[in-house]
Amino acid sequence: MTAFRASVRYEFRMQVRKRSVWIVPALTLVLFVLIGGSLLRDLFDPGERPLDPRTGVVGLAVQLHALLSIGFGCLLADRMVRDDRLGVAPILDATPASPGARLAGKYLGAAAATAIPIAVAYFGFAAAYAIDIGQQVAMAWALAAFAVVIVPGLLLVAAFALAVPMIMPAPLFRVLFVGYWLWGNIVSPEMMPTLARTLFHPLGGYPLDALFDFHGIDGEDTWAGPVAGATLNVLRPEPTPALAWLSIVLLIAVSAATLAGGHALRARRIH
Amino acid sequence: MTLWRYEARRAGPAAVLGPPLAVALGVAAAFAYPEPSDTTTARILLGGLEMAVPLAAAVVCSALIGRDPAREIQLAAPTPYRITLLRRMIVVLAWTACVAALAAAVLIATGWWARWPQNHGLVAGQLTWLAPTVGLSGLGFAAGAVLRSPAAAGAIVTTVWAIQQFFGPAVQEHRPGRLLYLFATTRGESPAEWTANRLTLLGAGAALIAFGLLLLGRAERLISEEDE
Amino acid sequence: MRIEISGLTKTYRGRVHALENLDLDIPTGMFGLLGANGAGKSTLMRILAGIVRPTAGRVVVGGHDLATGSGRTAVQRELGYLPQDLGVYPDLTARRFLDYVALLKGMDDSSARRRRVGELLEVVALTEHADRRLRGFSGGMRQRVGIAQALLADPRLLIVDEPTAGLDPEERIRFRTLLSQFAGRRTVLLSTHIVDDIGQTCREAAVLAKGRLIFRGTVEELTRRAEGRVWSVVTDGPVPAEGTVVSALPHDDGMRYRVVARTAPSPQARPLEPNLEDGYLAVTGRG
Repeated sequence: MTAFRASVRYEFRMQVRKRSVWIVPALTLVLFVLIGGSLLRDLFDPGERPLDPRTGVVGLAVQLHALLSIGFGCLLADRMVRDDRLGVAPILDATPASPGARLAGKYLGAAAATAIPIAVAYFGFAAAYAIDIGQQVAMAWALAAFAVVIVPGLLLVAAFALAVPMIMPAPLFRVLFVGYWLWGNIVSPEMMPTLARTLFHPLGGYPLDALFDFHGIDGEDTWAGPVAGATLNVLRPEPTPALAWLSIVLLIAVSAATLAGGHALRARRIH
Repeated sequence: MTLWRYEARRAGPAAVLGPPLAVALGVAAAFAYPEPSDTTTARILLGGLEMAVPLAAAVVCSALIGRDPAREIQLAAPTPYRITLLRRMIVVLAWTACVAALAAAVLIATGWWARWPQNHGLVAGQLTWLAPTVGLSGLGFAAGAVLRSPAAAGAIVTTVWAIQQFFGPAVQEHRPGRLLYLFATTRGESPAEWTANRLTLLGAGAALIAFGLLLLGRAERLISEEDE
Repeated sequence: MRIEISGLTKTYRGRVHALENLDLDIPTGMFGLLGANGAGKSTLMRILAGIVRPTAGRVVVGGHDLATGSGRTAVQRELGYLPQDLGVYPDLTARRFLDYVALLKGMDDSSARRRRVGELLEVVALTEHADRRLRGFSGGMRQRVGIAQALLADPRLLIVDEPTAGLDPEERIRFRTLLSQFAGRRTVLLSTHIVDDIGQTCREAAVLAKGRLIFRGTVEELTRRAEGRVWSVVTDGPVPAEGTVVSALPHDDGMRYRVVARTAPSPQARPLEPNLEDGYLAVTGRG
């Protein structure tokens, strides 16, 4: 437990003080504001913003999650292989701390630090919006959306980012990851077989639909459930709150399995 | 020639695997479409060249700076290190061009190229992949030179690419956005501005590469600890 | 290749003063550079190698002013450089790595390059490992590859930063001899923590502390700086509190300490003849 806590603290501090962890989301937000059409601007435009504060902050969560998670994954993409590259791994391997506890600490510490700017941006915009419309309840919805939509997605991305570069160069992972993010989240199931809108949807389709009753800013989108004529509809049952929680558990379980796979691979390589 | 072989090796396996993998994914996406029509399939095939190939090249270019274990030896050599990095980038872009040109040749020979109405011809049409590849790779190289962190530079490249994917119509609402839009051949909303868009991307890429080289002239920035 | 340094100052971001108003002349031949960690040795070496630019001051190497791009390139053509943190490409064999560095140094003739690489692999006793990837090399073997790459272009100026780190005693002696033989009419600047390496190879040396020059002279002069300050103390009591303990050996009556101190650390202390290490401690104020 001590090794785990020490590892979380060390990895968190190492990561949070990196300039790039702050620069990348900041630049993303600047670009996002510049292009217009995003909620970062519309939330503060009385003519454009949704009337319901829940729709406003949940929509903001979807947009920021979809976009900032890409930088999040790329920034974490070499945290595990980095120890070997810098020659730190043999020193850490020689300590009595369990490798599993160290890995879990690295995972949670580095992921939490890289998520800090995302949380700052999200709660910052949500708070400004809550003040602007004079409805403090928006902050409660923001907290809930962050916990059940953004956090499980980020946990999955972090697990992929740590484990997959064990089997391929980090730049190749970045290319494939952004391709996967687009394919597994955004691509319409009518267009090609995709995991978007299934129970395994890192953008959180089922929680969005069943827990927040979110159907897009205009209330016209569907985020989960079967799509007429699409393949893989077996993975798209009608959304219910229980299935929403199952979807979250599934994301966390796949994260844990991915991490365990990376850990096993590394253990096999050093022995 | 031997030096170029060494630099090709230094560019890494991602440089070799990335572009063909990108083409393969584009082809897979095109033929996975459940309701195929000639135009849609052709659009996705050309989209693979315009979207996936530039992304693969640019992410590799963004990783060229910041992780060279022998950089201190490089910096003390009479061959300027920025020229060495430029050679590596040229190797990446040349290989990408070979793969993309071969894929385009196959599309032309099989007739798929002509089935996308906005293909802009066989010769000028090659700007479909060339312009976004140079533009986005220039961004990756410059971001690498500024941040000296492949992770951060790669994050910037992928984010810019993703913003243009997710918010294509919003990006193209204004002229600067239209001129810098990476996917003007397959998702462009103003075909009349296609040539201007392609030339702007080529120019922006060249300017960003020049900016990166200018920054790399200050060797001291490269010797200090990268943003690990 | 004479090196003339005047008023050299290097300040890094965050106002870290690595070098402050340094004046130093380095003649042809072997020249030693001593100093604690953070004294500014590596910064000085990097400035001389044309990697880092000074904040102020002038550095002229073999008549080339390092303030100009052409001056830096001219010096780099004549330079062999072994950095303290030697990085190599682990996927290359020793032979290919040297071949690549030779190309970067402008050795375009492939047969001459092959011959030179072969000679140097022989010199650093790596011929039988030449075609193994550097990934599997021990620290000492990598260091020998580093030494070989520094000598590739038959440089007139050789800058070596901690070159014997990781070498076994036999290799160390062999490398010191190699450097001395190599020096001849060339300039070899040797920076090290191992004072003995300087004593065995250099006629002259400089000592840096906190970015300033605190000694410049012959190694004999440096040794003499400790005259009257080196003591032997035999005691079964606590470690002498005054000065710096250089060595501690078990003795029939407790421990025998060699101490560098301005005054006798105890009434029983016996004066000793100083050596170079004592001289170094004396000028750095630790004795």
